[in-house]
Amino acid sequence: SGELYCSLPNPRNVRFESVNMKNVLRWSAPEGTGDGVLYKVKYSVYGVGKWIRKPECRNINRTWCDLSSETSDHEEQYYASVKAFLDGMCSDWVETTRFNPLTDTKIDPPMVSVSSTDKSISIILAPPEKWKRSPEEESISLLQVYPGLQYNVAVLNKKTKKRWFFSISNNTLVVPWLEPGTAYCVSAQIHVTTPLLDSGFSKEHCIATLKEK
Amino acid sequence: TAGNRIFHFGACKVSMSTAEIRAGFTAIKANIQSRDPIRTLSILSHPHSLHKVKSPDRCCITHHLFNFYVDKVFKHCTTEDSFVNRKISSIANSFLSVRRKLGQCHEQNNCVCGEESMEKYKQILANYEGLNVTSAAMKSLGELDILLDWME
Repeated sequence: SGELYCSLPNPRNVRFESVNMKNVLRWSAPEGTGDGVLYKVKYSVYGVGKWIRKPECRNINRTWCDLSSETSDHEEQYYASVKAFLDGMCSDWVETTRFNPLTDTKIDPPMVSVSSTDKSISIILAPPEKWKRSPEEESISLLQVYPGLQYNVAVLNKKTKKRWFFSISNNTLVVPWLEPGTAYCVSAQIHVTTPLLDSGFSKEHCIATLKEK
Repeated sequence: TAGNRIFHFGACKVSMSTAEIRAGFTAIKANIQSRDPIRTLSILSHPHSLHKVKSPDRCCITHHLFNFYVDKVFKHCTTEDSFVNRKISSIANSFLSVRRKLGQCHEQNNCVCGEESMEKYKQILANYEGLNVTSAAMKSLGELDILLDWME
C-alpha cells in the first residue's frame, strides 16, 4: 500500500483524564484541520516493550478514547498515543506523559446522608467506587485503593451561619449539642494523605433538628 | 516532621514522612520523566512487580532499595534546573534518614533477606546496569512513585 506522507499537523494536548480511575484518553484536533480528521489510538504498559492497538478507537472521528479497561491495573503505569489521518495524509504519533492511575486520577466527592434528632445530626459518608467494566463486576470502593482515605466534613448552622469543620477517618459522624428546630447543612470532601488527593466538596445536604419535645 | 507515619516491615518499625517525599517528587515528576525516553524498560516494576514481593521480604527489599537510591541514584541526578536540583536533594535527605533507620533494623536482625528478595534486588540492579549510569539514575528517580505506591 502507498506509504502515507506524514505531514499532517499533530493532534494536540494528548492526555489522560481520569475520575475514580475511569481513564479516558483525550486530545484536540490538529491545528487548522476542519472536519473529516480520523484518528487511531495505541497504548503501552510502562516497562513492557510493545504498543497495543485499541480496535474500538481505530478510524474514529471523535477526540477521546476510553482506555479504562486497558489501564485498570493501578499497580502499573501507562502511555498512550494518537495519530491523525486526513485526505491520505497522516500526523506523527503523539504520546502522553507517563500515566499513573493511582496518583493521576481525580476523586469524586463522597456520598452524604444525614438524619437528625432534636439536638444532634448523624452523618453517614461513602466514598465513590472505582470504575468497573460492567455493573455485574464486583465493586471496589476507593477506600480499598486508598487505605489512608479520610473525610473533611463542614456543618453549617443556617440560622447563625456558624460553620464547623471535622476531619474523620471512619465514615460516620454525630454532631451533638445542636439547637432544636434549626436547619443545618452538611457537605463533605475526601482527603487522601499519600498520594495527596482531595475531592471537591459534595453539594450541601440540609436537614432540620426536631423541635424540642 | 509533619505527616510522619510508622511503617511496619515485619518486626522492623520505621517512622517516615512519605507525604513529604511524595510532594517533592510530584513537583518534579513531569520534568524528570520527560528526561527518560525509554518507555519499554523499567528499573523497579518489570519483569517482576514490587507488588509480588512477599510480606516477610518487604523489610529487606526496602532496606536495599533505600541504599540503592542513596548510593546509586541521587548522586547521578543533577540537572540544569536549580528548582529540580533542590527538590532532588530534599528527597535524597529524606532517604538518608530513612536508610539510617532501616540500617538499624538490619543490624538488629529485624530485616532478614530471603532468597526471593535478593533475587528481586538483583533483577533491579541488572535493569539499572543495563543502561548508562545517567539514564539509569534518571529513570530510577522517575520511578520513585512506583516505590512509594508499593510502600504505602
